[in-house]
Parts: sequence; structure tokens; C-alpha cells
Amino acid sequence: MDLFKKTLDPIIALAIIALLDVFLFVIVGAWTVGGGETMLAGLAAKYVLGAKTLERIPFWTLVFTPTWAYWKIYISLGMGFGSFVAAVLSKEFYWRVPRHLSEWVMITIGGLLMGIGIRLSFVCNVSTFFGLTPEMNLGGYLAVSGIVAGAWVGSWIYKRVLEA
Amino acid sequence: MITVTGQCVAAFIFGSTVGLLVQRSRWCNTAALRDAMLFKSYRNTKALLVAMMILTLGFTGFISVGNGNPMRFDVGLNQFVGLFLFGIGMVLAGACTVSSWVKTGEGNIGALWALLFLIIGLFVSSLLWSFTYWPPAAATMTGQPNLAGLQFGFADALTLQQKTGIPAIVFGLIQFAALLALYRLILRKELVMQTARGQLNPQVARSAPEVSPAMPEPAIGVAMAGSAGASGSYQEEV
Repeated sequence: MDLFKKTLDPIIALAIIALLDVFLFVIVGAWTVGGGETMLAGLAAKYVLGAKTLERIPFWTLVFTPTWAYWKIYISLGMGFGSFVAAVLSKEFYWRVPRHLSEWVMITIGGLLMGIGIRLSFVCNVSTFFGLTPEMNLGGYLAVSGIVAGAWVGSWIYKRVLEA
Repeated sequence: MITVTGQCVAAFIFGSTVGLLVQRSRWCNTAALRDAMLFKSYRNTKALLVAMMILTLGFTGFISVGNGNPMRFDVGLNQFVGLFLFGIGMVLAGACTVSSWVKTGEGNIGALWALLFLIIGLFVSSLLWSFTYWPPAAATMTGQPNLAGLQFGFADALTLQQKTGIPAIVFGLIQFAALLALYRLILRKELVMQTARGQLNPQVARSAPEVSPAMPEPAIGVAMAGSAGASGSYQEEV
């Protein structure tokens, strides 16, 4: 199949995703990833620390009660699965490991900042661009301003690291 | 009304299709912002804008006829601050929430590492949450303006429709026009850049690729490019 031989035009890919997202919006809600990841963090903590310990942390009883019956988790797992299938079919699956310590450090700091950002704002980049902003939510406009400013600062830091 | 199992199945099918399409198109939300800022390359930005235009019309259209499930969401400065931190993080990690899952599916250990620390970051900051202190959550999610909780009140296309009596699609069309204007601005900028390149070297102008080649990819990408060289079959994200 041609799809698994050539790179797909991102405009076509994103247009299809947008149409599917409208469909999802009608049946459950718009595409989001941060919510599923928050729930996965809660579930992971429940297994590592135990349900009793987790109950003592207010966030996991008042805002997110860990449960597998939460549709947003399956969007995240689906994305990993779909990408795995596509990578295998197009013979692009292989293990890639960062080689330099600096890469590991940047990924670690970046990952932590993303997690803290999601927790603080209750949204991620996906719900910003593919949910809140098209719904014309004021929170979406605030989030877009935040992510653009953050990406600018991040790019500046990244450029400095590259130059160094 | 769709059952919980139905919701989860629909979400998984949606997620799998997204994973497949994003993997095949090498689209990346991080690149959509970073490449536009650092390299003046708009391949991913244009796709993002097209999606947002379709979504704006689709969402506001369905809201106008009383359909759809808009996020009941509180608005506060925490959205700005949180996404600001997120923006820095995604550029440093070289992956956003979508590409970290997609790259993990391709066998990228760096992306899996980013996901792991994203979850650790989420959990650690959840310890600091308190519903009497900023950042606000459930307790301030009343929809009423609440300055102590930095809440400005709930407002989106649905509330605009309810408060003004004007169908949401009208507001949607205004936002669509703004996004389209931005898209056309990018196209014009690309044309100017191509012409400038053509003046320097006419050969380049004729074969000018839409995307700037050999884009350096931060962190995760460096590893991908490294192993791509070894296998020779991998196409860089650009």
C-alpha cells in the first residue's frame, strides 16, 4: 500500500484527524491527551504506593479518582498502538536510544515541565489546539498564548544549547 | 447516550487512527511551533491551522444545532502559566503529548523516557494541589467570576450563543476567517522566501522544497537521526 511507502502530506492527515475529532466531539468530547495522562499517573501511583496512601492526597480523591473506565486513557494508548502498527507496516520500527547525556537531561527536564504544566493548567497542547480554541473557550486563547510564549523561550534555550 | 465501554472503544479507535496518520505524515505539534520560530519552516504549522479551521466550523456548527460536548472548563491564569511551562518542556524534550506516544510506538526510548517523566511531573505537582489555594480546580469550577481563584467565568461558543442568542456558527466563522488570514499570511511569507532564494540561485527556486531539509531535531530527534543513518530507511521528521 502506498500509505506505508511514502510520507503522507500532513495537511491531509490533519484534515482527516479534524473530521474524526468533530465526530468524537459529538459522541463524547473533543480530542485530548493530558486528561488520559493524568489518569494514567493516578493509576500508576495507585499501584506503586497503594490505594490507601493515594487516598491521603486530596487531588486524587477530589479531582481525579483513578479508574480504568475513563475514555481519555484509550486515546493515548490508541495513539501508541496505531503508530506501532504503522511503523511495523512501513518497516520504520526500530529501537532508537538517545546517545548523549545532554539529550537524556533535556528529555528529563522537558518531560517534567510538560507534566507540571498539564497538572497546573488542566489542559495539554492537544486540548488547547484541537479542543478549547475551536470551541472558542477563553481558556483556549490563554493556553495558546502560554504555549506560544513557552515554545519561544524553549526555542531560545534550545538554540543556546545547540550553540554551546 | 453512549455507554462507558462505548466511549472507551470510540476513543481507542480514534486514537489508533490518529497514531497511524501522525506516524505516516511525521506531523508534530512541537515542530509546528518550534520550526516556525527557529527555522521559518511552516510544514507542520500549516497542517495545524487547517485542522483548527475545520474544527472551528465543525464544533460551532454542531453547537448551533444543540449538539456536541464542549469542555465545561474553568478559565484562569493557570492555563497561561501551565502551558508556558509545557511549551518550554516540549521544545526541550523534542516531543509533545501526541508525538511522545507516536514516537514511543515507533520504538523511540527517548520518547518513552519523556512520557515517564511527564507522568512523574504530573504526580509530584499533584501533591501541591489544594483546593483552597491557587492553582484552582474543582472548588472554583463554578462558572462564576472568582478573582480569588483567578477565575474569569466560563465563556465559550456555547455560552456566547446562550447569552447573545446569535448561533455559535457566526462566531465560528469569525474565528475561521482569522485562522484563514493567518494561513494566507504564511503562504505569502513562503512565497517571498522562495522568491528570495530563487534570486540567489534560480536552480534552487525551481526545485525549492516546501519543507526545509535536514531540520535539526532536538533531543529525541538527534537519536532518531543517528539511528536513521544506520538503517537508511527512516525518513526524518522535518
